[in-house]
Amino acid sequence: MELRHTARPYGFALLALAAAGLLSVLVGSVTLSISDLLEGLRSLGSGVESTAGTILFSLRLPRTILIAMVGAALAGSGTAYQGLFRNPLADPYLIGVASGAGLGAVAAMSIKWSYTTLGLLAVPLAAFASGLITVAIVYALARVGHALPASNLILSGVAVSSFATALTSFLMLRASGELRRALAWLLGGATMSGWQPVLALLPYWLVGLGILMTFGHALNVLQFGDDQAQQLGLPVNRVRRWIIVAASLTTAAAVSFAGIIGFVGLIIPHILRLLIGPDYRRLLPLSLIGGAALLLGADVLARVLLAPQELPVGIVTALAGAPFFLWVLRRSRQANYWS
Amino acid sequence: MLEIHGLSAAYSGKHVLKQVNVDLQPGEILAVIGPNGAGKSTLVRVLSGILAPLSGQVFFRGQDIGKLQPHERAKLIAVVPQARSIPPAYTAWQVVMLGRTPYLNWFGQTSSQDEELVHLAMERTRTLELAQRLVSELSGGELQRVLLARALVQTTPILLLDEPTTHLDLQYQISLLKQVQDLVHQPANWSLANGHGAPGAMVVLHDLNLVARFADRVLLLVEGEVRALGTVAEVLQPELLSEAFGIALDVVPNPIGPHPLVVAR
Amino acid sequence: MKRFSQLLLVLALLATVLAACTSGAQSPTAGPITLTDGLGREVTLAAPAQRIVSMAPSNTEILFAVSAGDQLVGRDEFSNFPEAAAAVQSIGGSMGDYNFEQIVSLKPDLVLAAEINTPEQVKALEDLGLTVYYLENPADIQGMFANLEIVGQLTGHTAAVTALVDSLRQRVTGVEAKVANVDTRPKVFYELDGTDAAKPWTAGSGTFIDQLITMAGGENVAASLDGAWGQISQEALLVANPEIILLGDAAYGTTAEQVSARAGWEAIQAVQTGQIVPFNDDTVSRPGPRLVDALEELVRILHPDLK
Repeated sequence: MELRHTARPYGFALLALAAAGLLSVLVGSVTLSISDLLEGLRSLGSGVESTAGTILFSLRLPRTILIAMVGAALAGSGTAYQGLFRNPLADPYLIGVASGAGLGAVAAMSIKWSYTTLGLLAVPLAAFASGLITVAIVYALARVGHALPASNLILSGVAVSSFATALTSFLMLRASGELRRALAWLLGGATMSGWQPVLALLPYWLVGLGILMTFGHALNVLQFGDDQAQQLGLPVNRVRRWIIVAASLTTAAAVSFAGIIGFVGLIIPHILRLLIGPDYRRLLPLSLIGGAALLLGADVLARVLLAPQELPVGIVTALAGAPFFLWVLRRSRQANYWS
Repeated sequence: MLEIHGLSAAYSGKHVLKQVNVDLQPGEILAVIGPNGAGKSTLVRVLSGILAPLSGQVFFRGQDIGKLQPHERAKLIAVVPQARSIPPAYTAWQVVMLGRTPYLNWFGQTSSQDEELVHLAMERTRTLELAQRLVSELSGGELQRVLLARALVQTTPILLLDEPTTHLDLQYQISLLKQVQDLVHQPANWSLANGHGAPGAMVVLHDLNLVARFADRVLLLVEGEVRALGTVAEVLQPELLSEAFGIALDVVPNPIGPHPLVVAR
Repeated sequence: MKRFSQLLLVLALLATVLAACTSGAQSPTAGPITLTDGLGREVTLAAPAQRIVSMAPSNTEILFAVSAGDQLVGRDEFSNFPEAAAAVQSIGGSMGDYNFEQIVSLKPDLVLAAEINTPEQVKALEDLGLTVYYLENPADIQGMFANLEIVGQLTGHTAAVTALVDSLRQRVTGVEAKVANVDTRPKVFYELDGTDAAKPWTAGSGTFIDQLITMAGGENVAASLDGAWGQISQEALLVANPEIILLGDAAYGTTAEQVSARAGWEAIQAVQTGQIVPFNDDTVSRPGPRLVDALEELVRILHPDLK
């Protein structure tokens, strides 16, 4: 396949990521300057604790990294799902991982846990497990013999999601004391702080996205439909299974620690497709960088818009992401960009 | 070369192919005809591995292709689909290159030989000048030739064409089938890369006059069963056709050419 | 005469409280303080906390009540009582999301968390090297007194707290004595949110609202509600037929006129007799010293004839 393997899109995306990352580290209710940053770095070496150092290394840096990882995970999974389902409305939550994780999280919140490591991780663990179980149920319901028709997956995903969402709402009404916490989680405003979530997410992130990144060519072939893909020699059902497993693992782990952040997984693939075309071998890696940059930017906005109050980042991604997406869409004016 | 033994297949419990026995020889065009619902497309789907047969076997030079992995099968059988549901944002070159999929590694890395093959196939199908055009900018005939080129770069001994002319204007129908005939009767050396010799083509066709003109042999399917299999002269018989299609048909000599004409009485 | 003696008593107590205040601030208890908090964590302070961040409105109210208002350097977004709290730096808290950076930069020696905070937040603050005390919600008024004493210890105002708790106890005892002999227990409906007039939100058993209504000589018509908070159907409300409606949502603009105008509500006795009373929900929803104010206010509304 003739590809203009130009490095330019990667350059732009990395530049955007670096800018967003720097902003994310510097901007907050306590504004740090570049010199504060260097000061903090020095204090880290000397072992002297300073307020700027604590804010930088115990709060800002882990949060920046976590947000970047979550953004990359959602955008990468979203790109893979849009390719897999050949559906412009597909996002990483399409087959129930988010509604399942939400149910697990809210259920865990309605129980009083002991102040132990396990008790403290009860919510993310419950969210993770429940997200994966939900996908497994959707998967089992959609299967017809050895085949896994995309339309079956989408439909049973919608049905199971609605069921889980209804259960979640019911739990929230019953345990109204935890309503704010649950709502914050469901809007992506529950980012855990510190290095623990970063370390916990890392293995799933590396393995899940590592697997997804290898599917660029397979997704290109899949764009021609299941039949043609099979005729071109692609093991369609195996590809579908692997993408679902990898994307579900990554997404479930990401939402467990950051809550349900909408829109990133939906618009990043579209924006990139408008900018660089339909080749998934480039869309996948670029979506990681783009997703990280977009979510970091949204998180900075969430922190400064109503400072010192913070907004759930999910609200900002939708408020800022939707107009941005429409702007890109109108600028490109490609009639038939979707493939 | 390709031998189909007692092949039966079903869709959601309904039998659509019953005990079909057919063979395909190198260098021939076998036209598959029959009324709607006769099982023509099902035959293509079973042969290309999309639909698992209920029973029966398909052998390629003695090898049971039902046991092959998708990429191994795709090195033996290439399919030219109808020119629908082709993603609009790919370039013609990208579409043709995907025909190399069974030979590429998991990451789809292409070599200069792959590019050379794509170049030759597009040259042969007269689509080279369309290489950088997007699918959405191609006419139906152009796209069908691009898909033919895609099948060619699979360098398979067997070509399956599923109603390739359905959405084409008459001049494109004829030129496409001329190309297929040309490819089968005078294959280029590069397309024989797998050492299988001249390819055979199985073409599902509606237009019986195109069959008369281009086919070497004809398979007539009726309700999933083989009604007739033989040369054009053997199968294009008025009684056979009239009974199969449920309408009175005549086969008359062509006043201006060598091929007979099928006309409604 | 009885009234005058009460006033004297209050004044005397107030004087003690003020005295205790000043003495407490000047000479904080020496030596380390170790207490077990609501999460079962052992919390140790080298000395009474001097820079305190309050994570909940109830905590802020308690801190001011025990005369530790001056030691407060940060408070959550919703702390609006007493007025002096407004001058203290906000550390966020809407949507349960606190500004940890702000908290760290305030360099507190004690973060006073409450049950509206999650154990995860406590852990995160702890990981930032901060001392956190998680003040559990009290189950009843006595438990609230115990919380006051804990906060008094943490902030070095033990004497002030003793006086405060004594005075609050006497007020509660006073109410109990008055109510002991009432022969009628008016049926009360407490409205938390009547946006949906067909099924308004109310408070059931296990809430301070329910407890205080009972203590004030009333009967909460939603006592049998399944769970602490819930929506009661208008039909059930008509059957219960409360004599008094308390508008806990008055702060959000709900008025007695609006309630009277609601379709179908005219059949309720409280609406017919005009017994629809705005009520300061903060005094009952925050487990702090103002619970006693709420109790006295409830007695005034439920039994206006009691002197």
